[in-house]
Amino acid sequence: MTHLDNELHMLKTEMGNMLHTVLFQLDKAKEACINGNNDLAREVVAREKRVNAYELKIDRDCENIIALFNPVAIDLRLVLSTLKINTNLERIGDFAEGLAKISLVQSNGFDKELAELVSLTEIFDDAIEMLSDAKVAFEKENSQLAASILSKDDLLDNVNRKANSLIEEYIKKNPDKIAQALDMISIVRKIERIGDHCSNIAEEIIFYIEAKVLKHQDKK
Amino acid sequence: MYKIEAKDVNLYYGDFHALKGISMSMKPNTVTALIGPSGCGKSTFLRTLNRMNDLIESVKITGLVTVDGEDIYRKNINIDELRKHVGMVFQKPNPFPKSIFENVAYGLRVNGENNRSFIEDKVKESLVQAALWEEVKDKLKKSAFELSGGQQQRLCIARALAISPSVLLMDEPASALDPISTAKIEELIYELKTNYTIVIVTHNMQQAGRVSDHTAFFYMGDLIEYGETKKVFTNPDHTQTQNYITGRFG
Amino acid sequence: MKDKNTTYNSKRTSQSVAFWIFRFFSMLVVAILFLILSFIIYKGIGVINWDFITKMPENGMTEGGILPAIIGTLCLVGGSILFAFPIGVLSGIYVNEYAKNGWFIRFVRMMTNNLAGIPSIVFGRFGMALFVNYFKFGTSIIAGSLTLGLMVLPIVIRTTEEALKSIDDSFRHGSYALGASKLETIRRVTLPMAFPNIVTGLVLSIGRVSGETAPILFTAAAYFLPKLPSSITDPVMALPYHLYVLSTSGTDLEASRSMAYGTALVLVVMVLFVNLLANALRKFFSKKVKMN
Repeated sequence: MTHLDNELHMLKTEMGNMLHTVLFQLDKAKEACINGNNDLAREVVAREKRVNAYELKIDRDCENIIALFNPVAIDLRLVLSTLKINTNLERIGDFAEGLAKISLVQSNGFDKELAELVSLTEIFDDAIEMLSDAKVAFEKENSQLAASILSKDDLLDNVNRKANSLIEEYIKKNPDKIAQALDMISIVRKIERIGDHCSNIAEEIIFYIEAKVLKHQDKK
Repeated sequence: MYKIEAKDVNLYYGDFHALKGISMSMKPNTVTALIGPSGCGKSTFLRTLNRMNDLIESVKITGLVTVDGEDIYRKNINIDELRKHVGMVFQKPNPFPKSIFENVAYGLRVNGENNRSFIEDKVKESLVQAALWEEVKDKLKKSAFELSGGQQQRLCIARALAISPSVLLMDEPASALDPISTAKIEELIYELKTNYTIVIVTHNMQQAGRVSDHTAFFYMGDLIEYGETKKVFTNPDHTQTQNYITGRFG
Repeated sequence: MKDKNTTYNSKRTSQSVAFWIFRFFSMLVVAILFLILSFIIYKGIGVINWDFITKMPENGMTEGGILPAIIGTLCLVGGSILFAFPIGVLSGIYVNEYAKNGWFIRFVRMMTNNLAGIPSIVFGRFGMALFVNYFKFGTSIIAGSLTLGLMVLPIVIRTTEEALKSIDDSFRHGSYALGASKLETIRRVTLPMAFPNIVTGLVLSIGRVSGETAPILFTAAAYFLPKLPSSITDPVMALPYHLYVLSTSGTDLEASRSMAYGTALVLVVMVLFVNLLANALRKFFSKKVKMN
C-alpha cells in the first residue's frame, strides 16, 4: 500500500467508527424513547461529545489529505464524500441526543396508543436500518445498497406528513396528555430529519463509488 | 534527542552570502523536505550536512552543525567517517562505470571491507532496501549503465545504503526521472524512514507534501519557515510561504 | 514562392559543391598516404626476408640484415616510454586533480607546452650535455631513452590531463560522498575511466619516439656495431638513423640503396603494428571501464 493508500484507509476506518458510534446512539435513543430507560438516555447525551470529536478529526484529516496528496478521481471523491457524510452524520448524532433528551423529559415513557399512532417503533427501525445500510454500503463500497436507502425514506416522510393531523386528533381525545403529544411531534420530526440525512449520506456514497450525482433529483 | 542540529549557520561563496543564519533541528527517523525557489540555498544547506561544500573553493562557513551531537566542522574530524554516516544521493544518477554489484560494493571496499560473503550479503540487502533487487538479481555483473534512469537512481540509493549510514541526504533525487520512477522513489523514501533520518531537497512542492514529516522553506538564503508539513501545507505561518506553496511566486 | 524555391535550390547546389570539395581533399590525403606506402613497399619489399630481419649487417652493410637496428629501436622506444609514461601520467594527475587553480598551475601548464615545442635536435644536444657527458652515461641506450623520454613527456602529460578533465565531476563527488579519499577516488574511479584516452597518448608517444633521429644522434646511436647491445650503457643502432646512414654514408651507396628502402619499410610496419596493438589495448580498457 502506498502512503496515500494508507491515509485513505485510515480515513475510511475512522468514518466507519463514527458511523458505528452514531448508529449505537440512535439505537439507544430508540430504546430510551420506547421503553423509558433514563440511564440509556443519559448515556447517549454523554456520548455525544465523542461524536463531535470524530467530526473534528475527520474534517482535519480530509483537509490534510487534500493539502498533502492532491488526490484525484476516486480518491478525491472519497475525501469529498467523507467530508459531507461527516456533516450529515454529526447532525444525526445531534438528533439522537435530542431524542434522548426528550425521553428524559418524558421519563415515564409514552402512551402506547400515541406511539402506535405514529408507528414509533417502525419509524425508529426504519431510520436505524437506513443508517445501518449506509454504514455497510460505505464500508463495502456497495452502491446498490446505498440506492436502496433512498426509497426507505418514503415511510418516514409519510408519517411525518400525517403526524400533525393524527396528533391533533389525539390531543382532542386526550387533552391531559398534550405534553407527550407535542413531544411526540418533535420526535417524529427529528426521525424524519434523520431519514433525510441518511438519504444524503447514501447520495454521497453513490457519488464516491460511481461519480453519479443524485442530489436534487425528483424522487422516482 | 535530535539527529541533526544547525545553529546559526552562515555560508559564503566568496562574497556571496548564500546561507543567512540558518537554525533548525531534525529528529531521528523523520523525513525533512527543503523547499524554495532556485538559488534559495536549499541545496547549499544540504551539502553543509556532509561537508560536500568543502569541495568548492572559496567557501566559508560559520556556525554550528552537529550530527548525533557532534560538531562536524571541528578541527580533527575524519571527513571520510562523516560521509559514511551521512550518505548522499545526487540529482542526476551517477553510477560508476562498473557492474551493478561493484557499484553497490564500492563504499564497502573503500572503507576497508574485504570479506567476500559479507560484501555479497550487504549488496543484496541494500538492493532489497532500495526496491531494486528483484529487477537486477540476475544481472549483477552487467554494467550499471544498462539500467534505466529510475533504476540507476535506485542503484545510487542502494550504493549509499550499503555503508549503513544513519542519515540520508537526497538532492532532488527524482527531478531527472519520469513520473512512475518518481513515485517508486517516493514510496521508497516513505519506507526508508523507519531506519534512516532523511533530508530531501525538492523543487516539487507536491513531493514535499507527499513524502515529508517536516518542511523547511528557504528563500534567498533565509529560512523563512520550518514546521510540520501538515501545518505548512494547510496553514503556514508566513505569507511568503503561502505564496510560494500556492504557486503565486517563485 | 518562386523566390523561396530558388534560394532552396541554390543552397543545395552550394552544399553539394562544398561537400564534393571536402571529399576530394579527404581522398587526396588518403591517396598521398597510399602513394607513400606503395612507394616504400615497392622499393623495399624485394629485400625483405627472414634473414633481413634476423641477421647482422654484413659486407659493409650492403648485405645481411638490420637486426641490431630493430633491437635498438625497440630498446629506445621501450626505455623512453618507461621513463616518460609514469612521470607523465603522475604529473597529469597532479595537475588536474590536486593542484589548486592559481598562478603556479598556469605556470606549469605554460612550461609544459613550451617543452613540447622545443626542436628535437635541441633535445639531442641537451641530452648529450646532460646524460652523455655530465652523468657520464656515454652514448648509450639509457642516455637515448632519457632524452627521447624528455621529448615525449609533454605529450603524455597533456593527454593525461585532457583525459582526466573529460571525466565529469559527478563521478568524483559520488565517490567522495561514500567516504572515499581523493587518492582512492583517483585509483578506483577516475583513472580507470581515463585510461583509454591516456593510452591514446601512449600511442602518439610511441609513434613520435620510433621515428626520431635527431635526439638519438648524439646520445645513443652508433654507425655500426658488430654485436648486439648487452647492457643499457651500450650504444645501439636504430632504424631511422640506420636509414640515414644507408642512404648517405654507406661504403657502396648503390648496393645499399635497396637495404635502405627495406629499413624504411620495416620502420613503417613496426610503427603501424604498435599503433594497432595500442588501439586494441585501448578498446580492451574501454570495455573494462564499462564492465569492471
